[in-house]
This record gives sequence, structure tokens and C-alpha cells, in this order.
Amino acid sequence: MSEVALLQIIGMCVIGVGIIILLFIKGMFLRVLGFVAMVLGVFSLIALSVPQMASLPPAVETFDIASVKSPDDLASIGQKIFFSKGQCALCHSIGPSESARCPDLSGIGAKLSPEFIYESLTQPQAYIYLDFRHDGIPKEYPAQMPHIDQDPIGLSKQEIYSVIAFLQKMSGEPISIKVEDIMESVEEPDVSLKVASVTSPLNSQTPNMADR
Amino acid sequence: MTSAGQLRHATIVQGMNRMPGLLKLGSFLALLFLPALAMAAGGAEIQAMSVEYRDVPGIGSRNLVWVVAQQHLLLAGFVLGVPIFAWICELVGWKTKEQRYDKLAKEFTKLLTSAYATTALFGGILLFLLIGLYPKLMAYLTDMFFPSFLVYCLLFLLETATLYMYWYGWDYMQGNKKTFHLFLGFLLNLFALGIMIVPNSWATFQASPVVVGEGDAWARAWMAMKNPTWWPVNIHRLIANVVLGGFIVGAYAGVRYLLAVSREEREHYDWMGYVGNFIGVFGMLPLPFAGYWLMREVYQYNQQMGITLMGGFLAWLFILQAMLIGVLFLGANYYFWLGITHRIPGSEGQYKKPVMGMLIVLLLCLGVWMTPHSLVASLAEAQKMGGTHHPLLGVFGVMSAKMTVSNIMILVTFMSFIMYWRAGKQETAGWAKAAKAIMGALLVIAGIAVVVLGVWGYFVPAIIRINYFSVAQVLIVLFIMVTFTPLTALLMKSAKTTTEMVWGKMPIRAGYSLVLNAVMVILLMSLMGYARSSSRVHWHIYGVMRDTSEYAYSPALGYAAAFMSLNTFVFCLIVAFIFWVATLGDKAKAQPPKGSPVDIPSHTAPAMAGGAPSSGEKLE
Amino acid sequence: MKGPIISGAIILAGMFIFLKFLLPLVTAPLPASLIYLYLALVLSGILIYGTMSASSLEAMMGPVFRFLSGKGQTGASQMARLAVLVMFPLLVGWQTYSRLVPSDLPPAENRTIHPAPPGEFVGLANPYPKTPENIMMGKGLYAAYCSPCHGANYDGKGPAAPGFNPPPANFSDPGTIAQLQEAYLFWRIKKGGVGLPVEGMPWKSAMPRWEEELPEEFIWKIIMGEYDGAHQTPRTWEEEE
Repeated sequence: MSEVALLQIIGMCVIGVGIIILLFIKGMFLRVLGFVAMVLGVFSLIALSVPQMASLPPAVETFDIASVKSPDDLASIGQKIFFSKGQCALCHSIGPSESARCPDLSGIGAKLSPEFIYESLTQPQAYIYLDFRHDGIPKEYPAQMPHIDQDPIGLSKQEIYSVIAFLQKMSGEPISIKVEDIMESVEEPDVSLKVASVTSPLNSQTPNMADR
Repeated sequence: MTSAGQLRHATIVQGMNRMPGLLKLGSFLALLFLPALAMAAGGAEIQAMSVEYRDVPGIGSRNLVWVVAQQHLLLAGFVLGVPIFAWICELVGWKTKEQRYDKLAKEFTKLLTSAYATTALFGGILLFLLIGLYPKLMAYLTDMFFPSFLVYCLLFLLETATLYMYWYGWDYMQGNKKTFHLFLGFLLNLFALGIMIVPNSWATFQASPVVVGEGDAWARAWMAMKNPTWWPVNIHRLIANVVLGGFIVGAYAGVRYLLAVSREEREHYDWMGYVGNFIGVFGMLPLPFAGYWLMREVYQYNQQMGITLMGGFLAWLFILQAMLIGVLFLGANYYFWLGITHRIPGSEGQYKKPVMGMLIVLLLCLGVWMTPHSLVASLAEAQKMGGTHHPLLGVFGVMSAKMTVSNIMILVTFMSFIMYWRAGKQETAGWAKAAKAIMGALLVIAGIAVVVLGVWGYFVPAIIRINYFSVAQVLIVLFIMVTFTPLTALLMKSAKTTTEMVWGKMPIRAGYSLVLNAVMVILLMSLMGYARSSSRVHWHIYGVMRDTSEYAYSPALGYAAAFMSLNTFVFCLIVAFIFWVATLGDKAKAQPPKGSPVDIPSHTAPAMAGGAPSSGEKLE
Repeated sequence: MKGPIISGAIILAGMFIFLKFLLPLVTAPLPASLIYLYLALVLSGILIYGTMSASSLEAMMGPVFRFLSGKGQTGASQMARLAVLVMFPLLVGWQTYSRLVPSDLPPAENRTIHPAPPGEFVGLANPYPKTPENIMMGKGLYAAYCSPCHGANYDGKGPAAPGFNPPPANFSDPGTIAQLQEAYLFWRIKKGGVGLPVEGMPWKSAMPRWEEELPEEFIWKIIMGEYDGAHQTPRTWEEEE
């Protein structure tokens, strides 16, 4: 018997018991209980009469280094992290958006070097882009960029790399993150990343200037 | 471990500088328990690495938490709603010098003491279950919210102390000291509000997390608390608790009325049922507005979640909600109408026509409200309609129609109440005729305006409708309520009573309709609580921490409804038990005189229709 | 049996005839689930009105109970009572049987037409400006790729439409694209029927996955052309200045 049929039978039995109580039992309290049971039984039966459908969660994404064969694989993992564990999409949008609280990231992979993105994710206050400003009314729940490699988000180095790969791919840029880099960073966790000297006019160096 | 403990000490001492004196004392108390708590938190973190979930064989961890959490929340709603009810009654009694209101308030405060302990008990069970079954999630939330846990504990202590003083000091603080007692009642409600809003922030953070940046533990907790749906949920729950309190009082009175053996008892419980229903209905009137605000915030926070709720997988919950609210509106109005025809002798013929008019309007509104956006249809039916949208009735499926009819239902219910208020009275003031004409005209204009705005809403962009039209509809209804209430009060001040209200003459079905209303409210809270928490779908914390347990799926509607029904039934039993225990003492004090016959107005109708099988006639 | 019972029955029957036979004369027939819902509402209204006072309760329910209890009945009415008492369980049995008997009809369904989009598609804005050229280009693309099903008049009545169930969406209906945002349409066009979540029943939709055929630029412009051609505006959450 299907679960729905079982529940329907239980519901009908509850209603039946309620009817019997109301017909034959005189104790007021029991009668009220029978009445309540009937009401609840009818409610359940109505809910059961609608075609039933459960919603299964999408498959769990795991970051499995062994499965990464090409930079594109890396980018697709990065995309998933961007929209889940990394929490990037809680604030940022890709493309102009009406509800985003923080800067639009479309084309960011082409504008910025991967080293710079890495630094922005792990030391968000180190360099702040002078030219950035909010247009229009201030956002209702402004957020400050958190450290992505620390709690509570706590992405690993590989995960950050794959997000950068995704940002580059999304911007139409060739992915400069190599699969070997990821493997390397597994073996040597504290490989220090060289922050490229900033030459682009976009990256005016103005430390300690809050974005709002 | 010690260093972590010291660190927390330091942050807490820092935070204390910003607190008023009384809070400081409490924090100091809380501080004493700190090392133990910090140790527990550390333990959970270590555990979380190895165990993310534990399961309960047979029933399943999610189902167990579902039942316990729902019982805790319903009891908490009761424990927070009843003090509001009691305090209002006490205030009314103090102002009008009517002893019966004071007695009523006291009667419910007594129930509060035993309900309070049960609530805390379920809260404790829930906490242990969550720590045991969901260690990963709890470690995360603890890390985020720990300082607010301390605030919560402190508020709990204050609430308990105030409740004891409020209850045990009731008789002592009569007369001159009454104002202080009222102040205690106010404090009780204030702390209760705090107890509600602090955990609300944990739950709303799960549904609408914000990114938490730099800062000490207090600042981070505060950042996480201030999430977009926090205040909408607070307001919605606060009003809903008043409604729950009112209707549970009504149901209690209804059952006691049915069980009553003496005339005095019947009169008392009839009156109590009236007061409970009145407060429940009055709380219910602004509730849709609060719900609307909450949904708006959800949509603004994350459209995906909004669509899942209102148009997607969970949309049927809102059809069930419309059904339950419909029954509640009908039940509340039915009780008002029964009150008019039974408490005011000889008024039946006079009110037949307006009652029928109101009933028809209510049913039309309900018909619109309950029409789903996507209909259940067989293949052939769907083909004829061109999909699961009906070309004509599909227009009822969208927000513009639903907002309009809910506003009209609120108006009708309000007019039911006004009619009840004026029943059996004759206005004497010279301006009464003019006032009544103006009120009638205003009502008609308001009704037309609401409908016109609703229809117009189809032809303007959604944002205009949401920002202006819906708000205008709400304001129109509020305007009617705000102007009619004092106007009617003025009219009634000078009116002479033509027919005295007779208490204790209500038929049996009035008692049942009070019980029905309470069941509907409890069921609604279970239903919408489920909607709120299942809108996170397969996330513990939406978009941040995924549910990777085997219970990450969202069950089908029928399965969920069966659980809601079970929860409602269990809650009714618990409340009945609490009431029974609390009134044991009264029974010993006042044994009813033997042999007084149960004189409940009975008709030929058997039990099913709400009548009583009288002793001579057995239905077999 | 007369009075409220008869008038109640007449109202119910009248409502049923109206919903089942008269309404389809002007519009599509109503699904059975909706007819049940409306009849249940009418019935509850009759019961509420009938039980308002002691006298109306007696007028409505009294005859029923006297009839069913069979007190002092003779002849025809006694036979009628027996017949009702025998027929009622049979009726329930027949109802149960007709519910359970296997049939070749597919079960009633509850398809969500506009399910929630995946997170990646929430809140995207159209990156192309609304210029006449862009709209014209969108309309041209629409004519080439979309109109065979969705119709040259944006009404879901293209030449290929009769072959599909559910039929292609009618964009001129204010209940379809006017209720949705451009980002939503972008998702549905890009991912097609197979991209729907389970409640949208992806197995039922014949909408192609256009990301395989068209670049994103074309999709955005088609959306523009679609709204313009169907005389609708996309739903927005912020007021336009």
C-alpha cells in the first residue's frame, strides 16, 4: 500500500472514531475530543486529496580533486561554490541586478588578475577600489566583505582557486588557474601567493577607505 | 580551552559596559556558568568534525524534532499570548472597576504557571535533541549567536521572577498597590517579548542569513540577528500569539460551558467565551497585514524563496491556509451571529437579512481566496483549459485578488462585531441618525474603493500595486476600523438598552464553534510554521549550510498535513491536561450541588449537528 | 420535508448547474476539483445560515432527523426511510469502487506553472538597452524561433501549438509573462522544459533548451521583443524613475 493510501485510511478511521464518539458517547469532554479529531481528520484528507509530490534536493556537490581534469571542470565546481558554500551570491550578482547588495561581478575575471581576486577574497580590506560607489539609494542591508578563507565561510585554497576559475570563465577570459596549481596547493598548503604589483588604472591603492 | 574561555570573558565584559545596571547583574550571573558553556561549545565543534547528524531509528530525527519543536512553539505562543490577554483583562477590570475581568485575568495567570513549566520542559527537550541530532548546524549557530544565548537565559530568569511575583502577588497587590501589579504585568509582557524575539532571530537567520563581517562576538551576533525577516516575523508572531491566547481562552470557556452544571457557571463561561473570541478576532484583523509584510521581505530578500512559497512547490500550503482562515472567519462570525440571536431575545427576525448578506459576501470572498493559481485537473480538463490555468478563474489566483478579498473579509468581520455591539440597544442621541448614515455611506465607499483598487491592480505594474494599491487597501480598512470604533462607542454611551443581554443561553454548537476556532488557529500556526521552515528547502541555513542528511527532501503535502494534525491534537491534549490540573483545586473547593439538572438548551438535533441528545431521545 | 431544506437543495443544484453547464458556455469548463470546492462553500453557507437560531435549526434539521429516526412513520415514508438507509452505504461503496477501479485515464495532476528558478537566475537584469533596434531584432528572432509554437500574435496559437499538451504559453494573457521578471524568462528560454524542477513536471514540457542553439544575447533580445509584441511589461521590484 502506498504511503498516501495508508494516511488516507488513518484519516478516515480518525473521522470514523470521531463520528462514533459523537453519536454514542455522552461524556462532553470526549465528545469535544472526538469533534477535534474529526476536524483534523478532514483537514488531512483534504491535503491528501491533492496530487502528492515530494521535492528531492539536488545532488550534493563535493570538491573532489581527483575528478578535476580540465580548467573547465574547475570552473564548474567554482560555480557551485559561488552559489552555495562560498555565499558569494548572498550579496553579489553576476550582471546588473535589482536585489543585490554588493558590487556586480560581471566581467570581474577579465578586469582583475587572479592574484588580486585572491587577495580581495582573503584580505578584503587590503586594497579598496577607489572608483567604487553606490548609485541611487543606499541598500537596505549593506554588507562588509568577509574573509572568505576564515570562519564562518572558510573556503579552502583549492575552493577559492576554483571560484576564481569560474569568475574568469564567466567573463570570457581564458582560465589561468592550472589544475596542477590546485594539486600543488594540496601538497604545500602554505604556498605564499605573490601579489602582483598593481598596474591597472582600475586598482588605485587607497588603503583603509571604507566603501560606504 | 582556557584561552578561549578567557577570550569570551573579555568580550562579555566589554559588552557589559554598554548595558544598563540591571542587565549587568544578570550577565554576571550568566558569567558564572560561562566556563561550562564554553566547554560544551568546544566539545560540539570537535564532535562536528566526525558526526554531522545522528538519527533516531524508526521515527527519524527530523520528524522527532518537528513534533517537539512544534509543541514547544505552540506552548510558547500560548505562554506569551495569555499574559497579553490577562494583562488587557486586568487593565480593563482596573479601569471599569468590574471585578469579573480581574477574576478572569487571575484565572488565566494561574494556568500560566503550569504552562510555563511545560514550555520550558519542551524547550529543554528540543535543545538536547538539536544538539544531539544536528551537531554541525548547532555548532555553527552557537558560534554565530552565543552572546544572544546569554541574553536569552537572562531574559528567562527575569521572566520567571516576574511571573512569580505577578501570580503570587495578585491578591496582596490589590487596592493601592494595583498599579504596581499592573506594572509587573507590563514587565512580564516586555520580557516575554524579548524571549520571543531573541530566538526568532536564530530562526530567521536560518531563512535569511546575512554575511557577518568583522567584530567581537557581540557585534557579530548582533549583525546576524539583524536579518531582513527578523522584525516581520517578530510582529507577525506577536499578533498571532494574541490571537492564539484569545481563541484558546475561548475554547477553554467553550469546553467549560459544555461541561457546566450550574447556572452561574454557564453564565460565567458564556461570558468568558465571548471575551476570548472578541480578543482573538481583534488580533486576527491586523494579522494579514503583518503576514503580507513578511512575504514582501521574503521576496525582497530572495525571490527564489518567495516563488517557492507563493507560486512554486509550497503554493498549496497557502491554499490550505486560505481554507483554514476561511473556516476561522466563518467560525468567528458564526459565533457573533449566534450571540446576537441567542443572547438578545427576540432579535432573530431583525438580523436575518444583514446576516445573510454578510454570509454571502464572506463566501464569495472565500471562493476567490481559495481558488488556486495552478489548478488540480485531469489531463482532459487541462487540455480544455489550455494548461492548469483557467482562462477566466485564473485571475483569482494572483495576489491582487487575494489581497482584495482578505480586506473585504476583515471589513465584514468588523461589521459583524459592530452589529453585535449595537444589538438590543436604541440610540438616543440626536445625531445618531446622521452618524449612522455617514457610517453606512463610508462603509459602502470603502468596500467599493477596495474592490476598484483590486481590479485596477491587474492593469498596473506589480510594483505600483504592491507599493501603493495594496497599502491603500489596508489603509482604507484600518481607517474604517479606527473611525467606527470610537464613533460607535460614543453612540452606545447615550443609547438606552431595549433588550438586556442574557448570558448562559448559548446553544451547544456555540461551544463547539469556539473549540473549532481554536483548533483552526493552532492548525494555522503549525501550517505556516511549516511553510516558514520548509521554504529553506534543502538548506539548514539558506544558501550557506546545506542539509546533507537523508531528511533533506521536502515531504509531500499530505504527509506534512498529517504531521500538523498530529501536532495540533497533541497540543490540544497537553493544554487540556494543563487546564485540568490547574482547575483540580477549584473542584475541591466548590462541589456542585447534587441533583441540579443539566439545563443546556437542547433541540431535536443530534450531536452531529451540534445539538445535544437529550435524555429522553436516544439516537440509535 | 419543506422549507429551508428544499431551498438549500435548490441553491446547491442551481450552483452545480451554473458551474458545470452554464459557465462553460462562455469560458473553458471548470475542473472537477474547483466545482467541488465551490459547492462545499455553498453547502457550508447553507448550514451556517440554517443553524443560526433555535427555530431555523428546527426548521432545517428537524424534518431530517424525524425522517431518519423513523418515529411514528408508516407506509410510504417508512419505506422511503428504509430505502435511504440501504442506499446510503451502497452509495459510499460505489464511490469507493469508482475511485479505486483502474482506468486508462492518467491521474489528476497539480503542475506548478511558474516554479522557483535556480539561484543563478534570480535577479538578473537585461544587459541590453531597450532600443527600437534591439526590440526589432528580438521580434525577428522570435518570429524565427518561437512563433511556430507561441504564435505570431504572441497568443500561444502557433501552427505547431495544437500538437502539444500542455499548450504553449500565451504571452498576451496577463497571468503569464506580465507576472514574471525578465530573469525568469531568461531561465525558462535558456534551460527549456528539462530545466524545470520536479514540481514543474519537466517531463511534460516540450520547450527546447535554447542555450544549445542561441547565444545569450539573442535570448535577452527575444525577451524584449516578446514583451513588446505581447503588450506586457515585465514585473519589477523597484520603481522606475
